[in-house]
Amino acid sequence: MNPFRFVDAQSPEHAVSLLEADPSGARPLAGGTDLMGEIKEGVVEPATLVSLASLPGMAGVERTADGLIIGTMTTLAELEADEALARDYPALAQAVASVATPQIRNVGTLGGNLCQRPRCWYYRSPLFDCRKKGGAICFAVNGSSKYHAILGGVDCYIVHPSDIAPVLIALGAEATLVGPGETRTLPLEDFFAGPERNIEAETVLETGELLTRVFVPAPVSGQRSVYLKARERRTQDFALASVAASLRVTGGVVERASLVLGGVAPTPWRAAAAEDALRGVPVAEVDADAVGQLAVRDARPLRDNHFKVRLAASLVRRAVATLLGHTERR
Amino acid sequence: MAPSNIGSIGVSHPRRDLPEKLTGDAKYTADVRLPGMLHGAILRSPYPHARIAAVDASRAAALPGVHAVLTPFDAPEGRVAPDLPILDTRARFVGDEVAAVAAEDEDTARQALRLIDVSYEPLRFVTDPVEAMNPGAPGVHEGGNLVGGKPIALERGDVEEGFAQADRIFEDEFATQSHSGAALEPRAAVAAWEGDRLTVWKSSRGIHADRLSLSLSLGIPRENVRVVGPHMGAGYGNKDETRLSAITAILARRAGRPVKVELTREEEFVAGRHRHATTTKMRVGVTNDGTVTAVHATTIMDTGAYLSSGPGVIRRAGQGALYLYRCANARYDGYLVYTNQPSAGSYRALGAPQGHFALESLIDRIAEELEIDPLDFRLKNHVGPEGQPGERITPLNQVVDTQPVEGGVPFSSNGLRECLERGASAIGWRERRAAQPDAGSAIRRGMGMSMFVYRGGPGGRSIARMRLEDDGSATLTTGIMDVGEGSLTVLAQVAAETLGVPYASVRVVSGDTRLTPEAPITAGSTATFSGGLAARSAAEQLRARIVEAAAAKLGIAPEDVDITDGAVVDATGRRMTLAQVAGLAPEHPLEVEATIDPGSREYVVNSFGAHFAEVEVDTDTGNVSVLRFVAAHDSGRILNPNMAVNQVEGGVSQMLGFTLSEQMLTDARNGVTLNASFLEHKSPTILDSPPIEVIFADVVDPVGPFGAKALGEPPSVGVAPAIANAIYDAIGVRVRELPITPDVILNELTLKETE
Repeated sequence: MNPFRFVDAQSPEHAVSLLEADPSGARPLAGGTDLMGEIKEGVVEPATLVSLASLPGMAGVERTADGLIIGTMTTLAELEADEALARDYPALAQAVASVATPQIRNVGTLGGNLCQRPRCWYYRSPLFDCRKKGGAICFAVNGSSKYHAILGGVDCYIVHPSDIAPVLIALGAEATLVGPGETRTLPLEDFFAGPERNIEAETVLETGELLTRVFVPAPVSGQRSVYLKARERRTQDFALASVAASLRVTGGVVERASLVLGGVAPTPWRAAAAEDALRGVPVAEVDADAVGQLAVRDARPLRDNHFKVRLAASLVRRAVATLLGHTERR
Repeated sequence: MAPSNIGSIGVSHPRRDLPEKLTGDAKYTADVRLPGMLHGAILRSPYPHARIAAVDASRAAALPGVHAVLTPFDAPEGRVAPDLPILDTRARFVGDEVAAVAAEDEDTARQALRLIDVSYEPLRFVTDPVEAMNPGAPGVHEGGNLVGGKPIALERGDVEEGFAQADRIFEDEFATQSHSGAALEPRAAVAAWEGDRLTVWKSSRGIHADRLSLSLSLGIPRENVRVVGPHMGAGYGNKDETRLSAITAILARRAGRPVKVELTREEEFVAGRHRHATTTKMRVGVTNDGTVTAVHATTIMDTGAYLSSGPGVIRRAGQGALYLYRCANARYDGYLVYTNQPSAGSYRALGAPQGHFALESLIDRIAEELEIDPLDFRLKNHVGPEGQPGERITPLNQVVDTQPVEGGVPFSSNGLRECLERGASAIGWRERRAAQPDAGSAIRRGMGMSMFVYRGGPGGRSIARMRLEDDGSATLTTGIMDVGEGSLTVLAQVAAETLGVPYASVRVVSGDTRLTPEAPITAGSTATFSGGLAARSAAEQLRARIVEAAAAKLGIAPEDVDITDGAVVDATGRRMTLAQVAGLAPEHPLEVEATIDPGSREYVVNSFGAHFAEVEVDTDTGNVSVLRFVAAHDSGRILNPNMAVNQVEGGVSQMLGFTLSEQMLTDARNGVTLNASFLEHKSPTILDSPPIEVIFADVVDPVGPFGAKALGEPPSVGVAPAIANAIYDAIGVRVRELPITPDVILNELTLKETE
């Protein structure tokens, strides 16, 4: 591991100025569960780590009439222990509890989870100079691609690894970004960006910009949500595919539908066609199987990940059927 | 008088190192800290195959804090194994050792590695063993990639004649992956010199074998090498190589200071040793009534860049086919092949799980197609106590091999039928159809089984010393390493029982070549059986000497004296403590040494078992959940029930990973290992582990110590086929390739639905 400088930032402005001063060498440090791994694996070699741990007001959950304001330095364990959160947003609680291991959730933060780098083994190995690291080749295209993208891959076929991002997007969350310029707030969905925008990044964060908080709108009557995650073992595993579903049913009709897939695309992936097939449809007439198929209609799998098409469709079907009280049959 | 049973055998004494391990007091190799000790690091090849034209380490050597550098061009010429120099000018896999440094601390050492300039000339490489056998394939070593230039071919009777007798012949091909034992403790070594004398501390399963290897490779007399084996963070059959310790020793000599090298987790995955990947073509002939007439297995096995224990592994992969089913005609052909993959090596049960996966999966299909219950098929055809049909070939005055090919030799004991019957009863085999969940559910349930045969415990020459201490306690000295499984506890039980003293009064000395007699490596499930026979023999001798000394003092014949509860008594009730005897023995202290060559001239000594699994398959996600697992074992008499259950639970859990999730994966384009981490190698967690019911057959073996046979490796042999057969029962898909991950299940279901 290369030596680096550690700075405990005292204010957001302080942190931003440090990050801005050394765009290529300075990195923000939250829980460190991802960044330290990247450093140890030799994927990145930052000169300066700017710790966000001492920034005031960055940790904790604030409840307002409009919804939740979650500081991005809030640990996943704190979110997991929040009973009101589990009551109001079951999918969010399910996603948080499904992340990694208790040890990692104890130090891992919401911000870190949303900003974590891809798990692609070509990206993670210093022996592959891949597109995301400035190289010329995406090694997944003709390589071992079991865990890679079936949707939205352009020159780079990573999948976004976050469990929490799909849920927050499905719940209509917004992100607040503090940086050298104006503080900005945008839908969390727009916080993530695929390789077509910037192949070396997964978010729209500008140099020196920090994700400081996430706002989740208050639940409305008839709203229900679920997060389903398929993985190879029951803990300490990223999603092979996942789905966050949030539906609002009023008067026996699906009024709002959000379906966001994880583990299948370089960003959390909204299944827009599947959502359209739900909206305005009476619960009894919803064809969950067809909705699942629509979710993966545009999938273009690589050599090893055809299974993800079937898997994602099944998860969507299950999520929809679960939320609408359909008996699981096939 | 015969030794009285004082209750050491069959008692679950806690393993001897339990308190140390629970309190964190136990010292492992990485815990060894010596004054002035430096830290080493190893430069590894980024190429799967390359000639190393030059190494310029001058910049590394000049880095402040660096004290020694080692390159292939200045390394001693010795070999740590026949195909493995200490360092070579040729790299044969990505991760192969190329150079090493020792520095004041690990960071400096790793920084120095980056300053070593290596001129690699990349060579053509091959990562697939079948391609590696093609003419014109790049040669990994001199002399061709097929080890030995030809396959091993073993045959009993005439297999073609057996197929001619068959009404039907079944054939399938099966593949198994390489996976890592993923021991918690990565490999480590510490080396220190005093003049010409070298001491090495290393994570080891065979300190005496390591000493010999180091002496030969470094070119120093064996008596000048001392190997110490601290506690071991699991071996699983691994950690018997010495390249790491040889490199460490040379660094220490050059630096003039002790050196420690500890592999990182990634290095442990890549440059440790893992299970050999195989493909096996299995062919079985049967008559219409379900009688096996011929079995023929052909296995191609990838040993990777180096041979390691490959010859043993390829041999063992065939033993199930040769010996599990009663059959006059059986054959095995085994091809062991070099490739530019990371080197495979010993891993629990060597090739047996691979071979049994193929055999027991095909048998399941045969039973189904003949419309015979798989349990009944096995009850009808399993090899019985009388052994295989045929004529004995081994001369009568010679020990019979534990992996025989020949027939005509009975087993010392064979509880296979009992394992089948009791295991089936425990899991509810006969009632299993009633357990299906409702027909419309995406969750399907199934049950499967397997059976297996394995070497029974006779190993290499074993030596044990027993000494009576002044305080009346006894000391057992053995060169055998406890690799974490508890063998020293069991050996002490055997010694205590034989001597007639309480278990607590036997001390054990081990883990240091300076203090212990020669011993084989802890391998092949031999420690309890072979080490136990030596311990028993030494304890018998010591007992005789004690009795002799006491009888002389009491003025009676030795036959009239007995040792009970740690004291010598005679028929009239006179009593001498062992401390008193120790004081009056003519030699002081009273010490004996026993050497035995374990084995039987009359019998094949084998262990047996039957495994049963109940699974649930989620046809939406492809996840397989093992709901219950029943492991019925004939390992002879069980000397320590709790530890024996631990062995079985451990073996089954470990092979759950082999069956369902673990795989070492390299990129076909450049040989780079893609998943060298606990996250990506996907060993199962406790949440993935089923309840495991362990059954031991009521067998007392006439050859083994107190009736015991081998148990270390057998629990890992039958797991994969039992689960694979259960998956078939659940969803009608026969998976012939491991691991059976969710993508495999989903792809198979898709294939099945489109058929």
